[in-house]
Amino acid sequence: MTRFVESTITFPYKRSLGPVVGMFMTALTEQRILGIRNGTDVIVPPMEWDPATGAELAHDFVEVGPAGTVESWTWVPKPSAQHPLTHPFAFAFIRLDGATTPLLHAVDAGSASALSVGTRVAPRWKGTRIGHITDIDAFVLGETPEVAGPDHGPSETPVSMMEYQASITYNNPVPVAADRVVEASKAQRLLGQVCPVCARVYAGGRGYCPIDAVELGTEHEVDLPDKGTITNYALVTPVQYPGQTETEPFARVFVLLDGTDVILSYQPVIELAASDVHVGVRVAAVWASPAEDIDEGAAMGGAYGALIGWMPTGEPDHTDPDLVNRIF
Amino acid sequence: MTSTDIAVIGWAQTEMVRQTDSSETKLLLNAITDAITPLGLTRADIDFTCLGSCDYITGQAFSFVSNLDAIGAWPPKRDSHVEMDGAWALYEAWLRLQEGDIEIAVVTGSGRSSTGDPALIYPMEMDPYFLAPLGADPLTFAALQARAVIEAGIATERSMAEVSVRSRGKGNIDELLTKEYLREPLRRHDLPPITDGAAAMVLATGDRARKLVKRPAYITGFDHRSECHNPSFRKLDDSPSTRIAAREAGIADGAIEVAELQAAFTHEELLLRSVLGFDDSVKVNPSGGALRSNPIMATGLCRIGYAADHIFNGGNRALAHSTSGPCLQQNLVCILEGRS
Repeated sequence: MTRFVESTITFPYKRSLGPVVGMFMTALTEQRILGIRNGTDVIVPPMEWDPATGAELAHDFVEVGPAGTVESWTWVPKPSAQHPLTHPFAFAFIRLDGATTPLLHAVDAGSASALSVGTRVAPRWKGTRIGHITDIDAFVLGETPEVAGPDHGPSETPVSMMEYQASITYNNPVPVAADRVVEASKAQRLLGQVCPVCARVYAGGRGYCPIDAVELGTEHEVDLPDKGTITNYALVTPVQYPGQTETEPFARVFVLLDGTDVILSYQPVIELAASDVHVGVRVAAVWASPAEDIDEGAAMGGAYGALIGWMPTGEPDHTDPDLVNRIF
Repeated sequence: MTSTDIAVIGWAQTEMVRQTDSSETKLLLNAITDAITPLGLTRADIDFTCLGSCDYITGQAFSFVSNLDAIGAWPPKRDSHVEMDGAWALYEAWLRLQEGDIEIAVVTGSGRSSTGDPALIYPMEMDPYFLAPLGADPLTFAALQARAVIEAGIATERSMAEVSVRSRGKGNIDELLTKEYLREPLRRHDLPPITDGAAAMVLATGDRARKLVKRPAYITGFDHRSECHNPSFRKLDDSPSTRIAAREAGIADGAIEVAELQAAFTHEELLLRSVLGFDDSVKVNPSGGALRSNPIMATGLCRIGYAADHIFNGGNRALAHSTSGPCLQQNLVCILEGRS
C-alpha cells in the first residue's frame, strides 16, 4: 500500500497595490467604490491598463454605485473556507451604476429564488474597513447600502498594501523508494540503488536512473559507506522569512561517499563550525537515536529520516584538487 | 502553413483514474515508453522534449525537474518545460522542429489533480486583489459563464445535459434535469471528473515521419490566443480568442470532420461550437472529451491525440482545441490533416 503524506504550504503575502488599486482600496474604507475611465468605458474594478490593448490609463477615477444590477449569478449552497460568507450565498457579476464592466462579489440574498438577472443590489459595508475587497461584506437586495455593526470610519492614511494568506494542503504519495531509505536510516544504513543498465549508483531514494529512464526497485538496493569527504559547501545566512527556524549562518555540504561515485547533497554538519567548513574534511554520518523523533517525509535533498548530518572523523583532510568539482 | 512538414506520428496515455498512487515521474516514464515503442524508436532517437506540468498542482517547487528522470536525458539533449497543458508543450515543439536541424520531438502533459481540493487551490491563481481574496473558485466561474451562455440563447440546461449524456455515454436527460444544482445553473453532470494521468506524443518532420508511419497527422495550422485575466473584462457569452486562433490556424481552408474540444463543462462545448461555427456535420468529442476524463495539464494534449487518431484511421481533417484559465481565458487550436 502506498503511503500518502499530507502537507500544507502557507505563504503570507504582502502585496503592494500601486496607484490605481491603492486608490480603489482606500476609497472602500470611505464606503466609496471607484472605477477608472477607459475611453467611453468606466472599468470596475479599476486597472492600470486597458484590458484590451494594454495602454496605460490616466488616473481618471469615477465614483460608481453604490447600487448595481446583477448580470450573472450562481448560488453557493456550501461555502468553502475561503469564501466571504459562512452561510449559503450567491456569487454575482454586479454592474454598478455608472460602470461598464461588472464586479464579482458575494450577494447575501437568503435564497437562490430571490435572484435573477436584473436584480438590484447594494453593498453591505463592514464596520471596520482596512482597504480590502472584503471591506464590502457582501451585497444585499435593494438600493440602500448598509453598514454591518458600528462604523469605525475610513482609513486615516492612504492604503498602499494588502495582506493575503495563501495556504494549500496537498496529499501526495510517497514513492516506495523514498520510504525504503528512511526505514533503512533507522537501522543506521545508507541505502543506495544501482542501475541494472549503466551500473551507476544513486542515493536518497531517487527510484529512477535518469540516464537510462528505468525504475529502480528493491532488487537494485545496495548499502553505501557512511563515511566520506566534503567536496563543496555553501554558507547560508538565514533570511527571516515566516517559518525559518535558523537564526545563525550555517553550512550545507556535499559529501562524496568513500569508494563510490555517490554524492549526498545539501547535508547539515554537526560539531563543525560554519567557519571551519572547507573542502576535503573527512566526515561520518550522524544518526538520530531511536528515542528521537525523525522526519518521516520524503527527502527532497538534504538529510532524511534518522540521518541528521555529518561530523568530522578527525582524519587528515583529503587533498585531491578535483574534489571541489564534485557536486553531482 | 509551415515551411517544414511537421506531423504527429503517435501518442499514448496512461490509465486515467480518480487517484493514482504513482508519482508523476512514473506516469511519464510509462507514457513515453508506450508512445515511442510502437514506432520502433528509443529514447536515444528523441532530439527534443518539452514537458507540460504544473508545480502548483504538485505542491513541489521544480517538480518538473524530477520528471526529467522519465526522459533519459543523457547524453545531454534539448529539454524544455511549459507550466501549461501539454498542448502548449506541443506548440513549442512544433516551433522548435521548424528550425529544421532536428527530426523527432516528444511532448508530454502530466498532472495529478487528486493532490488537493480544486475549490481551494485554484482561487489562488486568480487576480490577487479582487478575486483570490473572495475564494472565487472554478465552479463559480463556470456557473457564471454558463448563465451568460444560456442568457445569450447558445445553451439550455437541456442541451447541456445532452452534451453530458453524449460525452459520457450514459445518463438519462430528463432524469439528470431533476437533480439539484451544485452551482446553479450547473448540476453534477455538467462538471468534469477529477482525473490523474499523463500523455506523451511523438512529432516528426516530414521525411522522417513518412518513414516511421503510413499516415502521419500533419499539423497544418496551429495558433493560441489569450484574453484578459479577469473575467470582469470579458464577454462571457463569446470566446474571441478561440475565434482568432481558429482563423489563424486555417479553420476555413477545408471541412472539419472531427473536433476534439477541451470543454470541461457542458456549456463550454456549446459555446465553442457556436464560436467555431460548427454545424451537425462536425463530429465533436467522439473520445468523450474532458467530461469523460480530465487529467489536468494533459487534457488538451489528449484532445490533439484523439484528433490525430482520426487521421491515423484514414480521416482527412480534424481540429483540436485546448484551453487554460477561468472562463476559457486562453485558447489553442491545432488543425491536423492526412494526405493520400
